[in-house]
Amino acid sequence: MTTQRVVVVGGGLAGLAATMKLCELGIPVDLISLTPVKRSHSVCAQGGINSCNDQTRQLGDSEWKHFDDTVYGGDFLQHQPPVKEMSFWAPKVIDLMDRLGVTFNRTPEGFLDRRRFGGTLYKRTAFAGATTGQQLLYALDEQVRRWESEGMVRKFEFWDFLGPIVDDSGNCKGAIAQDMVSMQIRAFPADATIVASGGCGLIYGRSTMSVFCNGSAASRCMQVGAKYGNAEFIQVHPTAIPGADKLRLMSESARGEGGRVWVPRKAHDSRPAKSIPEADRYYFLEERYPKYGNLVPRDIATREIFNICVNEGLSVEQGRMCVYLDLTHIERSELDRKLGGILEIYEKFQGVDPREVPMKIFPAVHYSMGGLWAGYAKNAEGGLTPANPANQMTNVPGLYAIGECDYQYHGANRLGANSLLSCIFSGLFVGPCIETYMKGHKAAASDLPASFYQGAVAKHEARHSKLLSGNGGENPYMIHQELGDVLTRSATVVRNNQQLDEAYQKIDDLHQRSKRCSLSDTGSWTNQNVIFTKALQDMFPIAKSIVKGARLRDECRGAHFKPDFAMPSLKEEEPVARRREAEQWCDRFEANNAKFLKSSIATLQGDDPEISYEDVDTGSIAPRPRLYGLVGAEDIEEVWRNRVAAKQNKSKAS
Amino acid sequence: MSAPSPTFFMRHEFLIRRLHSLSGLIPVGAYMTVHLLVNSSLMNGPASFQTNVNQIHSLGSALPLVEWTFIFLPILFHAAVGVWIIRTGKSNHDNYRYVSNWRYTLQRATGVIAVFFIFFHVFHLHGWFHGEWWLSRVAEPLGMAQFRPYNAASTLAEALSGYVWPVFYLVGVAASVFHLANGIWTMGITWGVWISPAAQLRASYVCAAGGALLLMVGISALVAAMRIDPVEARAIEDGIYDARVTAREIEPNEHKRWVGPTVENEVSDAEVNKEEQQAE
Amino acid sequence: MQPSDPTTASDSARHPQKINVRVLRQDGPGQPSYWERHQVEYEENMNVISVLQKIATQATTVEGEKISPVAWDCGCLEEVCGSCTMVINGRVRQSCSALVDRLLEENGNEIELRPMTKFPVIRDLMIDRSRMFNALKRVKAWVPVDSYFDMGPGPRQTRVEQEESYPLSECMSCGCCLEACPQYLKIELHRRPGETDEQFEERKQAAYGQGFVGAAAISQAILFNMNPTGKNIKDERLDALTEPGGIQACGNAQNCVAVCPKEIPLTRSIGRAGRQTTIHALKKIFDK
Ligand SMILES: Cc1cc2nc3c(=O)[nH]c(=O)nc-3n(C[C@H](O)[C@H](O)[C@H](O)COP(=O)(O)OP(=O)(O)OC[C@H]3O[C@@H](n4cnc5c(N)ncnc54)[C@H](O)[C@@H]3O)c2cc1C
Ligand code: HEM
Ligand code: HEM
Ligand code: SF4
Ligand code: F3S
Ligand code: FES
Repeated sequence: MTTQRVVVVGGGLAGLAATMKLCELGIPVDLISLTPVKRSHSVCAQGGINSCNDQTRQLGDSEWKHFDDTVYGGDFLQHQPPVKEMSFWAPKVIDLMDRLGVTFNRTPEGFLDRRRFGGTLYKRTAFAGATTGQQLLYALDEQVRRWESEGMVRKFEFWDFLGPIVDDSGNCKGAIAQDMVSMQIRAFPADATIVASGGCGLIYGRSTMSVFCNGSAASRCMQVGAKYGNAEFIQVHPTAIPGADKLRLMSESARGEGGRVWVPRKAHDSRPAKSIPEADRYYFLEERYPKYGNLVPRDIATREIFNICVNEGLSVEQGRMCVYLDLTHIERSELDRKLGGILEIYEKFQGVDPREVPMKIFPAVHYSMGGLWAGYAKNAEGGLTPANPANQMTNVPGLYAIGECDYQYHGANRLGANSLLSCIFSGLFVGPCIETYMKGHKAAASDLPASFYQGAVAKHEARHSKLLSGNGGENPYMIHQELGDVLTRSATVVRNNQQLDEAYQKIDDLHQRSKRCSLSDTGSWTNQNVIFTKALQDMFPIAKSIVKGARLRDECRGAHFKPDFAMPSLKEEEPVARRREAEQWCDRFEANNAKFLKSSIATLQGDDPEISYEDVDTGSIAPRPRLYGLVGAEDIEEVWRNRVAAKQNKSKAS
Repeated sequence: MSAPSPTFFMRHEFLIRRLHSLSGLIPVGAYMTVHLLVNSSLMNGPASFQTNVNQIHSLGSALPLVEWTFIFLPILFHAAVGVWIIRTGKSNHDNYRYVSNWRYTLQRATGVIAVFFIFFHVFHLHGWFHGEWWLSRVAEPLGMAQFRPYNAASTLAEALSGYVWPVFYLVGVAASVFHLANGIWTMGITWGVWISPAAQLRASYVCAAGGALLLMVGISALVAAMRIDPVEARAIEDGIYDARVTAREIEPNEHKRWVGPTVENEVSDAEVNKEEQQAE
Repeated sequence: MQPSDPTTASDSARHPQKINVRVLRQDGPGQPSYWERHQVEYEENMNVISVLQKIATQATTVEGEKISPVAWDCGCLEEVCGSCTMVINGRVRQSCSALVDRLLEENGNEIELRPMTKFPVIRDLMIDRSRMFNALKRVKAWVPVDSYFDMGPGPRQTRVEQEESYPLSECMSCGCCLEACPQYLKIELHRRPGETDEQFEERKQAAYGQGFVGAAAISQAILFNMNPTGKNIKDERLDALTEPGGIQACGNAQNCVAVCPKEIPLTRSIGRAGRQTTIHALKKIFDK
């Protein structure tokens, strides 16, 4: 009998981790990627990767606290078992990467150096200069190359994944992909298929992501019935460098290493930044969040910066919105050692030395918390059962999702340096699960009749030739620009229902137009035009899920912020009244959770997504108000503490 | 030894490249350095130059063997492999105008110059072979094989008369010296002697200084050779020759002596000179 | 930005309204290449990528002729993925970090784009760099761990060691160092009639396996020879570096280090490789 194979779509951290683990288990892999896997978007990751470690432990940290920070940061919207498992694996993941030769920064004595990242009070983040993602990706890329040279991996780079192949009984039996050079379309029979296709930032036109991150792969899974979770949760990173073609990230590590965010107290103060005295500077994050300071979670930092510029009109520049991110008070040599990489990016693209002059930054679309729905198998301790086929499997049997393109780990908001972790973890963890799954399905997919696969191929060849012959006169690049503008305006930092309704209409309109494109290249050799147009058309199911999900979620949670439904801050000064107000606040908070502490699940019906809701497993850590020690919110926290205590006594009594 | 066939070269590329590298320094580089130093002894007049040459030639009949095994063959090897190496590269200094890239191109250019220079130079003075037939039928009719060890300075001076040859020598020496100096620098990297950029920079200064010095040595010999008056020189040389013959230090050997176009009066001149010397 | 004659304005003080771009195009492997002239609107701190994006959107030449968009490769747009290497104004570099203002200062009011010359052209500015990844296989550029199970942390390394190896680990396989290397020559094979993908691929890999590995791979070999676990197969790497196309093919032109966008100390790695292979070769002679 022929041996069973696995197709892995995507060679970022997640895809490569899964590939090498499968190879170790003796399962051969076909690896499909838009780009040579070494160039995957994961190389862009800068700041680092989190784990509880020997140093933080002695300051009272633990895997559990990492777990807690992650769900608190995600506003409790993620199922807790996978998150718990991840947090407890974190130290092992970093040990493994260390063994694989990742050049993590070291302390003088030779231990891994750590830095502090947002949403935590501990220095959990291991880092390799300011190019951690690059080093991690390369380490995995090297291992996969090693397996490739032993014949366990076949790479298909510059191949576009067109969709999973699903048989009559609804099982995934492989994937269809197209060679972007020769334009040949072929089937990849497989007994299990992993989608690790990363984020979808390109839908927003300009973001901090690579051009590969167009969400097409996830969308193509949706189109065969896969569910898509929490689409509306898009992380907007507080600090990016505005640019014509891309919004380049200025990593959180800049703040982790002591960078301070401020604006002149006087609007558009014309003095050069360095000559503005302390007294005239407004360090708004530090003043409003003394406990976390510049390292509040991203959604909060983003909203504060947005608010300072839009509502308070304190943007540094008149024409363009931006605030200062200041590193100039830090030793040059230290900056070079720890942040060299990202400071060079700023210098290269802005022509200004951030060691001398404060950087000008503004928020930018950065990460998609939402993604393909994936299941899990809970164990007695509230973690995951290893090697259980259900883990990371989508609702399409045999189709798995891992990495940024799954929805599992980050809820309503992702903490910095947690994503590299979730990607590597889910990649490593899924291997044995798939092994078990395949044991359960003895017959090798490659034994299925050729006709079955030919049929699947034919469908896509038809779509391809239809596109080439299209003559509706629409220009795909223009449509993409418009789509980006609509989404950026309506579905980023601040959202309101009227705008979202209009946006949905506009997007649907663009969707229809995208079907009437005329291509400027109708050739059959390395036709990037047609590849792009396909990706564009497939952006709409996700774009629509984002907008619709946002429209239906009448609350504020993590990255999703609707002023109309914001929880008010306490106004009463007089203690008793203030106390009462706090009580009401907490009542409303609980009521809101009862209604909205649910993942949105999008399933595609024709051109449009249907949204349903799924309860969240909060079995280990009960939801609580997410205030990060906001000045003036102490009373709320106290009221809440009392309620929790009361509940506990009750449950003890009974 | 002809250029090794590519496939063979490919199979032993590493070894051959290292031998080539080595041969550049020992013996070829070493020989050239000594050679230029010896030549520069012309500065102290014909006599001291003659004594130096005599020392070399005291090897007598073993000399050709020594020349071929330690000088000619190594040069031919280095040259042949060098030419092959040149063909494995494609200079691009017009797009990448870095000093090191110019040096790379010059190393190859000077190598080629050296091939021609050495070939003609040896032919011009030494004649390559000392067989009777070769010298009388080929070399000498072509105005080659001009050097006469027992009339070292004078024959050399005459060989270098005019402008063509001196210029030819100047170019040849300059090229060879640069090639050696830069060659030693690249050698240091090839063999892993200087590794850090800083060390490589320091090394390049040392090589440059050494090169400059050697160039001066080479030029000094040329200048001296052109300043010498052949007739006076020859008198001295002949004196030394006779002395050594009478002292039984060497067998008489007309091949290694200068034979003028009109033998008679030249000889008588010599006779006269001798008598005069004896008279005093 | 005041209006000015596009053909004369060059310095970044007086911006041209339009930028002239010459692109060397080629429809496919083995096909003739040809120049094509384009003109795009100038914008503040534009890079070559955004120029190409505009060209793709316009899809018409200066002469107003409708054309298929230029094919090119890019990814991160922040000089870390290595995708977008091309020869710009005669010099190889990353097109995402090539800012138009600088290029105009360099070369009047025209930007010249051509594909890399050391790799087979797939189409237009897209080239096939699989030879680079083949080279990484040749020098076994990986740490030979025995499993991916939890075995505790890796061997401890000092900060000094980390600071030595980190710069080398930044190599993004962009190929600039190879494009600029006079000893690195193009290897391009064409498919024989009736040859299957597999056969063709095999023939290519075989040919690549003979060519010069190049500075990038040499530097990676050195990186992994430094790693405490990577050391274990040091000899295999040095064998690879002394095989045909190994370290000996380097002629010390040192362009590699001058053009590397990541400023990787390649000549140091080459010097190291020189020393390690020397010792390795002597050992092979005298140890047995
Ligand atoms: C600028 C930046 C900085 C970041 N910094 C950090 C950080 O410091 N810490 C942290 O934890 N996280 C960080 N992140 C987030 C993190 O980098 C990503 O979430 C993570 O790298 C995603 O990895 P992945 O393996 O899921 O997908 P990716 O690395 O994006 O890989 C996706 C793969 O899928 C392939 N692919 C996609 N579509 C298709 C298709 N249709 N057909 C075939 N193949 C396809 C691609 O070719 C690619 O190989 C950062 C993100 C950005 C944008
Ligand atoms: C100042 C310039 C030079 C002068 C005056 C000079 C002079 C001479 C003389 C007189 C001879 C003849 C020796 C003999 O026949 O016994 C000779 C031979 C030779 N020279 Fe030069 N030389 C010069 C530069 C060079 C250079 C730069 C090289 C390059 C390496 C070179 C290589 C040789 C070789 C290979 C021989 C033949 C070997 C031999 O005769 O022993 N010479 N040279
Ligand atoms: C006769 C014709 C010659 C040719 C064609 C030639 C060619 C070359 C070439 C191409 C190199 C570069 C090798 C490399 O970088 O890998 C080289 C190196 C060298 N050559 Fe020559 N050369 C010649 C003569 C000489 C002479 C006369 C000398 C000595 C004076 C010499 C000394 C050297 C040295 C020391 C090196 C350095 C080797 C290294 O880089 O490792 N060469 N030669
Ligand atoms: S060494 Fe530098 S130039 Fe060469 S491939 Fe790596 S990054 Fe690019
Ligand atoms: S440019 Fe080439 S020749 Fe050697 S020093 Fe660099 S590899
Ligand atoms: S696009 Fe990644 S290096 Fe230029």
